[in-house]
Amino acid sequence: MFKIKQTRHMFTSRKAPEPLMLVFLFLALVLLLFVAVTLANMVIEQVVTDLPALISAACEKSVIKSISLSMYAGLVATLISLVLGIPAAYILARKDFFAKGFVESVLDIPVVVPHTVAGIALLTIFGANGLIGAPLESYIQFRDAFAGIVIAMLFVSAPFLTNSVREGFQNIDPRLENTARSLGAPMWKAFLFVTLPLAARHIMAGSIMCWARAISEFGAVVIIAYYPMIGPTLVYDRYLSYGLSASRPIAVLLILVTLTIFIAVRLISAGWRIYDKD
Amino acid sequence: MTINDHIITILTISLLLVAIFSVTGCVDNETTKDGEADNQGTTATQTTASDEEAILKIFHAGSLSVPMAELEEKFETLHPNVDVQREPAGSRACIQKITELEKQSDILASADYTLIPTMMMPEYTNWYLAFAKNQIVIAYTDDSKYSSEVNSDNWYEILRRPDVTFGFSNPNDDPCGYRSVMVTQLSEAHYADESIFDDLMGDNTAITMTFENGTYTAVMPASEYIEPNTKKMMMRSMEVELSSALEIGEIDYFYIYRSVAVQHGFKFVELPPQIDLSSVDYADEYNTVRVRTADGKIVVGTPIVYGITIPDNAMQPELGIEFIKLLLSADGQNVFINNGQPPIVPAVTNDLENVPAELRALL
Repeated sequence: MFKIKQTRHMFTSRKAPEPLMLVFLFLALVLLLFVAVTLANMVIEQVVTDLPALISAACEKSVIKSISLSMYAGLVATLISLVLGIPAAYILARKDFFAKGFVESVLDIPVVVPHTVAGIALLTIFGANGLIGAPLESYIQFRDAFAGIVIAMLFVSAPFLTNSVREGFQNIDPRLENTARSLGAPMWKAFLFVTLPLAARHIMAGSIMCWARAISEFGAVVIIAYYPMIGPTLVYDRYLSYGLSASRPIAVLLILVTLTIFIAVRLISAGWRIYDKD
Repeated sequence: MTINDHIITILTISLLLVAIFSVTGCVDNETTKDGEADNQGTTATQTTASDEEAILKIFHAGSLSVPMAELEEKFETLHPNVDVQREPAGSRACIQKITELEKQSDILASADYTLIPTMMMPEYTNWYLAFAKNQIVIAYTDDSKYSSEVNSDNWYEILRRPDVTFGFSNPNDDPCGYRSVMVTQLSEAHYADESIFDDLMGDNTAITMTFENGTYTAVMPASEYIEPNTKKMMMRSMEVELSSALEIGEIDYFYIYRSVAVQHGFKFVELPPQIDLSSVDYADEYNTVRVRTADGKIVVGTPIVYGITIPDNAMQPELGIEFIKLLLSADGQNVFINNGQPPIVPAVTNDLENVPAELRALL
């Protein structure tokens, strides 16, 4: 509420706006246009100049298959991130311990590592002779398989979820949990019915980021699993085999699909603000 | 916690950044100093290169990475004001960067010289030089299964064994890929065994082989429909991507250029010249195998010859010419010899008229 009041004040006050605010507005506009124009140009150009190609791409079986595979594998990666990331986020938000900074940095490394490097590292570990791949060889194959896609997506996108959720937990007053505990709730009950709902919006936002990052991942996935082809791999392969005009409709489709999910989930979770502390 | 702590943190980080940048800065300074000295010593001989800072862009086939890196070093010593920037990729991808993305490159070097006339002429260039050769081998390491018994007579038998895994690159994207298919088909006649192609490739992918009028044509499905049997084999877009798979033991064998095998220090089975696409003497035999890639183009089996050209939209065509001069020189030839890609001396062109005048004397 406080924030909204302040912005209203800025726009409705009769005084001339602060010069710094004008500069900020201008720079923000540059950033916005940079992103929006680049993507809009691609989408609009495709829709205006070659709508039939977009429609036929949307009906093509292999396109639907690869984009659904991206979304499905991304979803699995996000669910695993949730299971592994929420406990990690809780510990990091609530506890101080030796080498905490180091642990946080390690969890963040996937964000800064080039994705091809991540792919090489993953193939080395999860390959048929790898540290993890070798003992599992007779049960599960990672290279060129669904499991490999999920592993690569998980690696690059999990930090987005962990960071967002940790921020959510940090915003919750521990006294609320303590109150629940003092009223006789066991720790799991306090966590499940007090902490988790209060962090719901952060968990949701983190999951969307994680999922979106997973769907758009190419560099790491293509090294561990060229097949089965995910959406971005198909875009790249069409580009190599047939050129730009053949790959663009699929790229546009991928943008539209992810954008739709993004907006839909944001709309759904908008109502969750009521749980927020401010 | 306190403001003092923050100031100390910020100071430490700034110092660290300054240290990092000064180290890289020093390196830079040293090279320019060396360069200046070099420049002054050799200004008399450098007539074509200007003293302005310039960038020479090279798009080249992945299999040329090692010799091109060595040539880059030599070129930058000769022309200290020039920064050579190389972008290795599959040969087709390299050409498409120019023809589809309208990217500018001063030099294009392809692993199959025929791609230059078919994909770039006449819009983007009208000449090329065929400057080096290569051949397909089956690379492996000591850790590969049956590595102690593999040889040029039994390699296909070993690849057939159910516990052996092998790889080749995507024929739709990469000349090494369609050449792997050609070698496999050629081996059927050479070893008098009609099921080699089916056992190795036909049954493990959706690639089909047709035979008509004495010519074999492998028909490539769209890449997403190749459906490789990933338990038995591994496919990647670019041949060099499979090298790392061999190194970590993900596959036991793969089809690769001899040069790449040499450069990576892999062991390899040298195949008979009748099938390994190395010899102009067997050009007629190679000619009997073709691959129809997913875009409908038909590639005919030919000896493996590298092609180079300066695209018409080059930013620095003069520097491109200088680079090709170095590549054709005795010094340049040695680089290719040492990397397992024997140079063609003198280089062969399609059309002497269109070759830049400065290069004609070298042909």
